[in-house]
Amino acid sequence: MLLADFGTSYVKLLDTAAGEPRLLATKDAVGITADVATGHNSLKRAKRSVNELTALAKGGGVLIAEDSYTLLDCGSRDIKFVRFEQGRVKDMGWNTECGASMGFTIELLARYYHLDYRTMTVPRRSFSVTCGVLGMSHIFDAVIEGASEAEAVARFIKGIALNAFVFAGSPEKLYLSGGLCDNPLFIQSFPGQVIPLGRFVLLTGLRALTAENGVFAP
Amino acid sequence: MNAENRVAIVGVPPLAVIRQLEAEGAEIIDLDMPVSGVSLERASHCLPKVYCAILRTVAANAISLRPRRIFIDIGRGKCDGAAHLATILRYALPDSEVIAVENHDRQPFSAPRCQTAMPLIDKMRAITASVTSSAAHPFFVPCRATAGFWGVPPRDFSLLEPFPDTTHVFGWARCMENKTPDNSELEEFFDPTVPTVFFAQSFCAKSALVRHLAARHPCALAVDSDVATSGSGQAKIQAFLELNGVR
Repeated sequence: MLLADFGTSYVKLLDTAAGEPRLLATKDAVGITADVATGHNSLKRAKRSVNELTALAKGGGVLIAEDSYTLLDCGSRDIKFVRFEQGRVKDMGWNTECGASMGFTIELLARYYHLDYRTMTVPRRSFSVTCGVLGMSHIFDAVIEGASEAEAVARFIKGIALNAFVFAGSPEKLYLSGGLCDNPLFIQSFPGQVIPLGRFVLLTGLRALTAENGVFAP
Repeated sequence: MNAENRVAIVGVPPLAVIRQLEAEGAEIIDLDMPVSGVSLERASHCLPKVYCAILRTVAANAISLRPRRIFIDIGRGKCDGAAHLATILRYALPDSEVIAVENHDRQPFSAPRCQTAMPLIDKMRAITASVTSSAAHPFFVPCRATAGFWGVPPRDFSLLEPFPDTTHVFGWARCMENKTPDNSELEEFFDPTVPTVFFAQSFCAKSALVRHLAARHPCALAVDSDVATSGSGQAKIQAFLELNGVR
């Protein structure tokens, strides 16, 4: 069975018979149809589409040992979270508008300014950023005012992390899902403890859902 | 039915008003509900764009339809915004008679549609339509609730699509069907045994009550929506129901 997380920038695939998940750029993942999928493009590209929040929550249920936790997924285009208390979903949020294109913008900026986020340090100050696209003007302004490009981008990323942290309810401990788990600057920009779970959490959720008796029975 | 007989209502006017209009043979139009072909932009010259979408709908409908009379509930059964809107409409529509009323009716009509098995969108349409009639409610077979919807009828009913037919309706929508819009005890009532979505329109004062009640409910999700239901808003509700085993 082919499971997929059809994201805006990347497609995550898991052939349940093969074992290890694969990552493809969305622009290169033409012609792939999954049996069960989640993500923005799943409706057109899968036999069965699963709500992203449901997949995220199910993935968290597999990967997180506690029964009370907050799990935040930062994607290319949006951010979403689920909060569980004593094993029951207590709150959730999905910010597609004001969180627009945060992950996408972070990747874009690294390419444009030739930055390596693994070597950058967290700045003392941050920008007030609620939207990836609109937040870029802060970078341009800071550079004009004399900040280095790296410093300006780092402030932007810290602003995004703070915004995502508040959106998730400002938890003491935050589990993180999505491609930004591979960005140490982003993770270190959060004020609290962050535990990255990687970019395949939603695939893990899909696998758990398919394993549940009757969930995908015709 | 000619335009002269057309009378508009906002909120839930007292039963005596509805009976009077029925005796006159008036065609009663509910301005709270979107009217086909009427753009919300029609409200933009008299109301801020960032404002309750229901009240903007009322203003747009009133300006477009220009009813001869408008009965608008400005009491606790509606909201402060309706009182301000009544003032504004008097200026915007000098040829219309804007009649401010307050509904303090206490006679319960019961709320059978709120507790019957029916697609939630149809249920909410039936509840809102019942406001324009003084007739006793027909009998509806009650069902066992598997989910709850607490709140006002949303501006965009597509918000209700993810709910099962066995969803019970609570909050002000239940007060509407009961014809007691100023009944805070009934409005604050919910069923703690079923997963419940607590809803308010964005920019509505009831959003405070939504947060308060959702925090007291053991299995709740608080949501708000403005003019149209967003895909993510609907997905939140769908995921909440799925994760709580509601089919």
